[in-house]
Amino acid sequence: MQRLYLALILLFLLSSPLYGKEEWKRAFEEEYLKIFPVDEAPKRNVCVSCHMSEIMRPELRTIPSQWSKSWHARNNISCHDCHGGDPEDEKNAMSPERGFIGKPSFKDIPQFCGRCHIGILEHYMKSGHGRSLRLTGHAPTCVTCHGAHEIQKASIEIINEKLCSKCHSYERAKTMKQALSVTERLIVDTDRALSTLKKKGMILEKENEEFFRTHAEFRALFHTTDVKLVKERTEEFTKRLGVIETRLSHYFKELNFRRNYSIFLTLLFAGMAFLFYLFYKERM
Amino acid sequence: MERRRFLGVLLSLSGLSALGSLIYPVFRFILPPGEMSSGTVLRIKRGDVPQGSFKELVLDNKPVIVIEVPQKGYVAFSRICTHLGCLVRFDSDKKVFICPCHGGTFDMNGNVLSGPPPRPLERINLNIEGEEIVIG
Amino acid sequence: MKIREFIDERIAFSELIRSQFSEYRVSERLNIFYTLGFVALAGFIVQFITGLFLLIYYIPHPQYAFQSVQRIMNEIPYGWLIRQVHVVGSNLMVAVVFLHMFSVFFMGSYKKPREFTWFIGATMLFLTLTFCLSGYLLPWSQLSYWATTIVSNLPTAFPVVGDCLADTLRGGKSVTGFTLSRFFGLHVALLPPLLSFLIALHIFLIRRTGISLPPWNASEGMKGSGQDIEGMPFYRFMVKELSMVMLYLAVLFFIIAFMPTLFLPEDANTPADPSKTPEHIRPEWYFLAPYEMLKLIPSKFLGITAQLIFVIIFLFWPFIDKSPERNILKRPVLLWTFIGVTGLWLLLTVLGGY
Repeated sequence: MQRLYLALILLFLLSSPLYGKEEWKRAFEEEYLKIFPVDEAPKRNVCVSCHMSEIMRPELRTIPSQWSKSWHARNNISCHDCHGGDPEDEKNAMSPERGFIGKPSFKDIPQFCGRCHIGILEHYMKSGHGRSLRLTGHAPTCVTCHGAHEIQKASIEIINEKLCSKCHSYERAKTMKQALSVTERLIVDTDRALSTLKKKGMILEKENEEFFRTHAEFRALFHTTDVKLVKERTEEFTKRLGVIETRLSHYFKELNFRRNYSIFLTLLFAGMAFLFYLFYKERM
Repeated sequence: MERRRFLGVLLSLSGLSALGSLIYPVFRFILPPGEMSSGTVLRIKRGDVPQGSFKELVLDNKPVIVIEVPQKGYVAFSRICTHLGCLVRFDSDKKVFICPCHGGTFDMNGNVLSGPPPRPLERINLNIEGEEIVIG
Repeated sequence: MKIREFIDERIAFSELIRSQFSEYRVSERLNIFYTLGFVALAGFIVQFITGLFLLIYYIPHPQYAFQSVQRIMNEIPYGWLIRQVHVVGSNLMVAVVFLHMFSVFFMGSYKKPREFTWFIGATMLFLTLTFCLSGYLLPWSQLSYWATTIVSNLPTAFPVVGDCLADTLRGGKSVTGFTLSRFFGLHVALLPPLLSFLIALHIFLIRRTGISLPPWNASEGMKGSGQDIEGMPFYRFMVKELSMVMLYLAVLFFIIAFMPTLFLPEDANTPADPSKTPEHIRPEWYFLAPYEMLKLIPSKFLGITAQLIFVIIFLFWPFIDKSPERNILKRPVLLWTFIGVTGLWLLLTVLGGY
């Protein structure tokens, strides 16, 4: 009997080799994790596979990796969402019948991005930049400041000397940056507060929505390049953000209360454990 | 004896406070929640909503929009886009709601036509009382 | 007291208390590990009560489950307390059950005549883990959904019946609302009476055979039991048990106060999205060892068979190890096997975390 169980234990121990871990980990994930409901298979993206292949022109080969690091990619926006075409069919991937519109000409870039970013397009067209583009064909477009494929989440640092002194002095851009900075500071702080609260379990859908529309409206406003307008409306935005901050501070207070209440209960029960122990030690 | 009595008293006191600090939350937990809706309503006149157009209002800190749907009458929706919370506008020519942030489009019944929004627009209660439209 | 007399004249309550707590005596040699069973029971009662209260506001439907839990956490007064106690308590209870099992094994208390007690206890361990599996899905978060996807796919390793087993468990080919309903029924209706019955049986068997004695410095024969006329009245041992229960609760609230997100990482606060697999999913810590083991063994079938063999050895251990020697320190083969297996289990658990 003893030998039997010894043999079984050895079998158990020997059948778990620690070599080849990486490969089996991948195979394991393939088998156990990626099991899809009957009708759904993973979607292919032929745009990416073609553009990453050896036969592609070098300057176009870097696009997929740039896009993969972008904010668009993080939110599941891929090639066909902007350029059209069919990402699952090699033959018709770039067919106009499937909506493929390819690369926009320089003048058409704002309209290209503005199919989704409607509010920003409106402000941009009214701005000095937008008017210059219409009248002279020379102006910064969306791509100039945000890039074409490696688009990141917008921040105030996009306004910098290098980018903004190509056509005129940096002075104007600097004034704009200063006008934005107070509200921008508030936005960054509120954003951080919201993600801290989320990490601690408070999702706060209403507050997140209100914050998003406030800061989206503010960022859209900047695209008018109208410093006066920005300065006029700074107070309004500061107030709106202040309201959100107040509500958030309630939640922080609530989190504090929860911690304190739990500490109180911990001490109470720890004390009782000790008292019971003393009681036990008392000889009956 | 003295010590035991003292321990007993301490134990009972801490036991009672432990019990209390657990029963009080349970009570608050079980008691029914207070009134959910605030009960405020907005009243506007029929004429305030231009034909084929819209009226934007604020009900209880919440932005709403009223339109007239052919064959259905007046409807009210929350203007908060179900994607990330921007405020939608009504395009009187295309007869759709458009969100300026990422182009989410909703039809006149609030259903998503295109774009990233995951759910239809929230309907807001609306009643007609004679010449008045009561929202909320 | 008038009330006591009133009750005594009808059910002789005082006599019951006296016989069960005063006249019933246990040896003074019962060490601190003997309190762990009672602590596990207290843990179960805490889970039961908090679960009952959570039932009031929880909605077991994929569209509403997540937001109902969010409402409990952020809108219902003290809902956070009830939920946190349930979450942290479940992990703590599993830890205590494991400790209890290790100490019983180490002290050889499973041996004749206590083999049934061990068997019931082993079954209770698996029931507890089933509680954990079913309960984990209920909040319908990313963490819930994907951890359940992994674990519910494991039965597919069985040949022939594997797929059918997995489908029955899930109520379909993938984790859906059907799975949620099944797990909810399991967690709330089927498992509690089952476990309660086994607990009652387990305690009955302990009283019937008598509590075991620690095997060191044993002066009497191996068949001695802890029921000892010269020992202490049971209520005194109960005070020791209660002290440990208070310690358990203190640890529970300590974790809730200072590490409230220990068992609720970011994925637990994101609603389930069947189309988006999060980057680092793993099952909860108590499932990491079998999970890691399956990952390491090249053949699916071999992996699950090895685990099955282990489970059977585990359940029937007192019938395999029939040696009358209860002191493990006198049995180097068993001692080192025990240390080896426990060490391996710990290693697999830690590896599974990466």
